Amino acid sequence: MNPTYQPKSWLAQQANRFAPGLFFIGLVLLWELVCRFGNVPNYILPSPSAIFTAFFDVEFSRWLTHLWATLRVALMGFALSIVIAIPLSIGMMRSELMNRVFYPALIVIQSTPVVAVAPLIIVLLGTDDPSRVLITCLITFFPLVVSTTTGMLETPPEMIELSQSLRAPRYRETWQIRIPYAIPHIFSGLRVSITLAIIGAVVAEFVAAEEGLGYFIQFSTSFFKIPQAFAGLIFLSVISLLLFKSIQWIQAWFFPWSLPKKKY
Amino acid sequence: MENNKAMEDMNSIENNAKAAYVSMKNVGHKYDPRPETPMVVQGIDLDIHRHEFVAVVGPSGCGKSTLLRMVAGLLIPSHGEVSVFNLPVTEPRDDVGIVFQKANLLPWLTVRKNVLFPLKHKYGSYSASDEKRANELLEMAGLTQFADKMPDELSGGMQQRVGIIRALLLNPDILLMDEPFSALDALTREQIGFDLLDIWKKNPKTVLFITHSISEAVLLSDRILVMSKRPGTVLDLIEVDLPRPRSSKTINSPRFAELTDLIRGYIYEPNVPA
Repeated sequence: MNPTYQPKSWLAQQANRFAPGLFFIGLVLLWELVCRFGNVPNYILPSPSAIFTAFFDVEFSRWLTHLWATLRVALMGFALSIVIAIPLSIGMMRSELMNRVFYPALIVIQSTPVVAVAPLIIVLLGTDDPSRVLITCLITFFPLVVSTTTGMLETPPEMIELSQSLRAPRYRETWQIRIPYAIPHIFSGLRVSITLAIIGAVVAEFVAAEEGLGYFIQFSTSFFKIPQAFAGLIFLSVISLLLFKSIQWIQAWFFPWSLPKKKY
Repeated sequence: MENNKAMEDMNSIENNAKAAYVSMKNVGHKYDPRPETPMVVQGIDLDIHRHEFVAVVGPSGCGKSTLLRMVAGLLIPSHGEVSVFNLPVTEPRDDVGIVFQKANLLPWLTVRKNVLFPLKHKYGSYSASDEKRANELLEMAGLTQFADKMPDELSGGMQQRVGIIRALLLNPDILLMDEPFSALDALTREQIGFDLLDIWKKNPKTVLFITHSISEAVLLSDRILVMSKRPGTVLDLIEVDLPRPRSSKTINSPRFAELTDLIRGYIYEPNVPA
């Protein structure tokens, strides 16, 4: 028996395991109690139970319509920014000229608040999907360019020397060495971008839309259906969380080697 | 026709074992061409014979690695000339294999695919016979049962053995090793040194071995180039007259101690103008 090491008691172990969940449940309970006994009106801060009821007051098919509208725009914008960002990063990494031409433009785009530009884009491209997808794309693609470029530049120099010593063609250096080395970075960029994609879609819906969860929240608020707006908000957060998680699952499934090593 | 000529040349080299194979003549280098910048290495003269094992020792930053990159054709010296087989080195050659400081394995490829990587990278594909060759190399290095594992499942010593046989895949005549064991712990380091000698005996190569371990240099090599601190110049070229095969007994021999002392003297009391 080692006196300095004592295994945690069963109770301590369980407390450790369920602490995050318990904290969350406690918070919701506190919220509920404050609303009930503090006489907070529903149109200021609805109680969790009121939000729960409001969620089921809305028809399921309506939820699905709004969900699909937001998800469609977010995923299309996200896909478009992947298609633009990754080839652009490769180009900027390989060509000094491309880097000098595009880098300032990227900084300008990134420093312009997309929320402010959104109405102008709607004027330019109309009130349909294309403008919403473009807004989403503008918000999401910068983190992807940065992470992809960083990843490719952080390839160990000795690996590049190995490639040079073999006199391999440069496209294979990019394809077989630099891009795989960038995978962990690309995925952290993707994780940031996917949550930004939801934000982008919602921003676009705030400006001009007839459906979508962002539109639903705005519409509910303007009719003082605050519990319903909260239900929409929570639904949106859950979707965002699931998308974030699915990026992690994709990485774990296809690129298990790229995950940080587990410590046992 | 070309091949026959090459074969004849090879034979004549074989007959004349003392012919210079890798040759450096008054080699010096600076990365910045402006006159006021100092040289990294300076006035290096060295002839390496075919299938000779030459180690280079010197303090950190003395340009040992620069020297290796010149022979590899990754770096063209600003002064003097490096030639292999009487041809000046102007670009990386096909008959040179490099082992790096870290094993430098690709974490997304299995051990076998890492060994085959030079072919995949250079030509885009490899054949069944190449795979057979990779398997033979893996067996020689005692890694057969790890062939389908990922690099991070291997110990540091095993990873570096993979690094060595990867460099042997294209059957190079020259093996350049850049402090290959410096990331390993002392016990692993000694063992892998003997493993290397074993591999070298089975596949004779001209070896240029960069190290900052004096005992490692004495234990492994035929000759040792001792370099001064920057700008790196040749302090001495020492013949290691210890009998082969070398083993842990070699380390206990008085001659081993004499040689290491001799080199240690150069490193710690550098008789070069400051």
